[in-house]
Amino acid sequence: MKVLVIGLDCAAPELLLGEPRLTNMRRLMEAGCHGRLESIIPPITVPAWMCMATSRDPGSLGVYGFRNRNDYSYDGLGIVNSRSIQDLAIWDQVAREGKRAHVVGVPPNYPPRKTSGVSIGCFLTPDTAERVYTHPASLADDVARLVGDYPVDVRGFRTPYKDWLKDEIYTMTRKHFEVLRHLARDTAWDYLQFVEIGLDRIQHGFWKYHDPEHRDYQPGNQYEQVIRDYYLYLDDEVGRLLELLDEETAVLVLSDHGAQRLDGGFCVNEWLFDQGDLALHRYPDQVTPVTGLEIDWGRTTAWSEGGYYARVFLNVKGREPQGIIDPADYEKVRDDLAVRLEATTDDAGRLMGTLVYKPQQLYREVKNVAPDLIVHFGGLYWRSVGGLGYRAFHVHENDTGPDDCNHAQFGAFILAAPGQAIHGEVKRASLLDMAPTLLELAGYDVPASMQGRSLAAAGPASMPVPSGVSEADEEIIRQRLSGLGYIG
Amino acid sequence: MEPPRAPSCLPAVPNIRKVVVVGFDGLEPKLVERLIERGELPNMARLRQQGNFARLATTCPAQTPVAWSTFATGVNPGGHGIFDFIQRDPRTYMPQLALNRYQQTNPFLPPKAVNLRRGKTVWDALADHGLPSVVLRCPCTYPAGDVRGRLLSGMGVPDLRGGLGTSTFYTTAEGIKPREGEAVVRVVPDQHGNIATHLLGPLNGKTRRPAEFEIHVQAGQTPDRVVVRSTGEPRELELVEGRWSEWLKVKFKPGLLQSARGMVRFYLVRGKPLELYASPLNFDPQAPIFPISFPAEYAAELESRLGAYYTAGMIEDHAGLSNGRITEEAFLDQCGQVWRQREAMLFDELARLDEGLLFCLFDTPDRVQHMFWRFTEPDHPANQSAGLRAGFEGVIDEQYRRCDTLAGQVLDQADENTLVIAMSDHGFNSFRRGMHLNTWLHDQGLLAMKPNMRPGDEAGDFFHHVDWSRTKAYALGLGGVYLNLAGREAQGTVSADEAQPLKSQLARTLSGLVDPQTSRVAVRSALAREEVYRGPYTAEAPDLVVNFAEGYRCSWATTLGGVPQGHFEDNTRRWAGDHIIDPLLVPGVLLMNRPFRTKARLTDLAPTILAALGAPIPHAMEGEPLV
Repeated sequence: MKVLVIGLDCAAPELLLGEPRLTNMRRLMEAGCHGRLESIIPPITVPAWMCMATSRDPGSLGVYGFRNRNDYSYDGLGIVNSRSIQDLAIWDQVAREGKRAHVVGVPPNYPPRKTSGVSIGCFLTPDTAERVYTHPASLADDVARLVGDYPVDVRGFRTPYKDWLKDEIYTMTRKHFEVLRHLARDTAWDYLQFVEIGLDRIQHGFWKYHDPEHRDYQPGNQYEQVIRDYYLYLDDEVGRLLELLDEETAVLVLSDHGAQRLDGGFCVNEWLFDQGDLALHRYPDQVTPVTGLEIDWGRTTAWSEGGYYARVFLNVKGREPQGIIDPADYEKVRDDLAVRLEATTDDAGRLMGTLVYKPQQLYREVKNVAPDLIVHFGGLYWRSVGGLGYRAFHVHENDTGPDDCNHAQFGAFILAAPGQAIHGEVKRASLLDMAPTLLELAGYDVPASMQGRSLAAAGPASMPVPSGVSEADEEIIRQRLSGLGYIG
Repeated sequence: MEPPRAPSCLPAVPNIRKVVVVGFDGLEPKLVERLIERGELPNMARLRQQGNFARLATTCPAQTPVAWSTFATGVNPGGHGIFDFIQRDPRTYMPQLALNRYQQTNPFLPPKAVNLRRGKTVWDALADHGLPSVVLRCPCTYPAGDVRGRLLSGMGVPDLRGGLGTSTFYTTAEGIKPREGEAVVRVVPDQHGNIATHLLGPLNGKTRRPAEFEIHVQAGQTPDRVVVRSTGEPRELELVEGRWSEWLKVKFKPGLLQSARGMVRFYLVRGKPLELYASPLNFDPQAPIFPISFPAEYAAELESRLGAYYTAGMIEDHAGLSNGRITEEAFLDQCGQVWRQREAMLFDELARLDEGLLFCLFDTPDRVQHMFWRFTEPDHPANQSAGLRAGFEGVIDEQYRRCDTLAGQVLDQADENTLVIAMSDHGFNSFRRGMHLNTWLHDQGLLAMKPNMRPGDEAGDFFHHVDWSRTKAYALGLGGVYLNLAGREAQGTVSADEAQPLKSQLARTLSGLVDPQTSRVAVRSALAREEVYRGPYTAEAPDLVVNFAEGYRCSWATTLGGVPQGHFEDNTRRWAGDHIIDPLLVPGVLLMNRPFRTKARLTDLAPTILAALGAPIPHAMEGEPLV
């Protein structure tokens, strides 16, 4: 059995599973099973897709986001690439068993992984015109012949130029699916996984126009349908792709996380400064990112990096260069800070429902340099702003450009495989369950490194093979001819 | 694109910018001629005078979908692939609808409707020349494909249950068996006389049970009224005895995640105890589950401009009448409504026609003749069982006068740049005797029954008791005979070498076959398909086509693979007129407002339209321009 995985980055279950006009999704749901899909913490594209592919949590991969501390210095964060994660992925298992796996745009996939099939870089690819972004490199020529220039992302998607953004996203996605159809139709493969980033981009760019709960939503605005229209468009593209499949292909459509409105930014370092955890030599005159702050490390116990969520680091003696927290007090300090973070309030003074996690509680292993605390401000209705100089805890303008959507903890999945036993809604499925499920359905071994559980644990049902024409078929035939008049 | 052939260099007919084709299904030339002579069809007489009148050679077989497909494509059935309403799957010997099918390439995809009529249509050829077309209700245009212009699909559009029209009969009586094309739902009133029941919708793919839509039938203000309450639109619908109701729009949930919108009309036979007839569920033009118009929103636009209308391919509730659920009056009342809907569509389009082709088919004359032919023949066998109520002798003539009035209105609206064509696809005749082709084949030693089985009613249909390993030929559909060919049929026994001699033998034996009871020739000829068809789809045709004589047809049981007792039977059903006989006996009618040559065939129409508008005639088209 072949396996096709269609990754729709950021697809929200409310829309993917709830919009009745997505006829191809409906059809897949009807043929198989579906459900909300619990993402990892933090629910961020990197490492979420690799957690899915390896069925391992972020701590076990030692990757906690796009940017990670390389060491315990104060030198800021390094950006991941495809080499940052070497754990056995589902496509590696497929290759081990002698089959061909294509990996297209599954982040991080730059430099392109050398899979047993072909591989195409993800949105982290610096420049497809200048760099080798495919494996084999010659695949780039086929891609160029098919679609010309191959955009991996919309650069500068946090922009006020919404019409431009929409056009760019559609152009990109069209090309992605064109290439994908070429691969699905014209090349040999046993496993094909693809991630479309356009949905994430369009939701970040247009959520306030779409979501009546968003504070800036205006009914009847000109962009109100942009997100739904794009889902419909994706549904069409998926439908065209499905037409190329044979009957012996399992299809998984899934997202790495969901999407929800963004109420604003919580200036975590302003707050740490105010609380006395973060000490400065000088409060900046203008808004300044973390890397530009003059931090008085000798008096600082905690600082944070911003982003969709906050990575809070403690300044521990013997660990950080100028650490001041006695390792013996580490847990006490961390707990105290966690309690205070959980008590943060929104701009109206209401408790905002901030979620604070310790990596050691979340993950089976905690490799590399993990944040000491992972913080979802307001359950991710607030993003985390790292800069200082706002003289406020709450901002409504995003520090990295217009963005009115954040990630939600639950994505969605739809799995349809020939003869599969599971139907209807599946509850409590997790992102880590997907790879073992696919491997088991398609008859591969599930490597011991994988942490999720297969939804198909009972094994695929054996379908009765129809012999001749059953009475039920005759009934269908009668039904089809019913009312003709000329017949008996 | 194929190179245009020689006649294309003919100039366009001077000044013709528009062609309006009004199709009247099943109009019989003999009747038209007679009524013109009597002065009852003044507008057709006017057309004859301005242009001409001709008997129009029809297709073999003379069936609506076959004939209109030839009209549309200008080729014989071998070139468009529609040979009958019904074909068979040689792998299973099972009958299936031959007009369209649903294909599903893999389990994740919704089934797609596929039109089985192939070949290039006159509207496609016009589009190649930059000219628009409006095509209303042409058979075999479902699912609606791309058109330069607008299209509303006709015969072939299913009802919501997937058939051509399944009605539902609600009754409080016990033990009522469903008849042709219907479901029967027995209802039980509660102590207040209220009835909770449901409409039957599409089958669930897995459970194969119909989806249900709950309705509540409650007593109305007077004993001859009831009210249907539901979550449909409208929430409350009043029904009056002996009247068709307004539309009720409903939404089914056949599966957890599916929905299908349809609409239904009721005919209240009796308020108490309840006898209620529900029409087949038509696709809701606002959200048809498969495309019935081009552009897709055209179906909905029509509704908003002209009101709700029937969308199914076969609209007239002939089965309701056949089954005795509704009266002749109710049937005619409904036919009148269908007619008015179609008229509104035609004149709506005619008013905005600037150039190109406008085609509109009126199916009703065919259905009315099927159901009322017996009233013109008092000795018809159908009258013995159905009874001959007085007052319906003139119904068919009245239909013809209605066609005439319509033709006149079109003619009045046509300017000097318009070629007006009024036509039918085939004529009409009586259907008094049916021939059991399979039983005849059995008695010829060509169709074998399983051990201890003999032809008879208990043999059922679908060839249930046929022993294929000893069978050489079988009949299915409306006059087709198939060889049980090795390599083609699942259990084929006839080798390629045997096939031709066997076909010749069958053709010889069938041609001139006499019905012993009437001593009349029942079969005029039986022809091997090679003699009748040519073109790329000829291999899909039955191996032999049986051309019956006047008054005959293949029997009801034959159509679905039945092997009853005897070779002939009386046709005792209300469906007592038919036209599936030797095509030479049932030509159609052709009238135009410009002179034309009267040796006319259906294949000539597409070239005539193209030539009139100055468009090249595709090489594949077989006919010649008539004007």
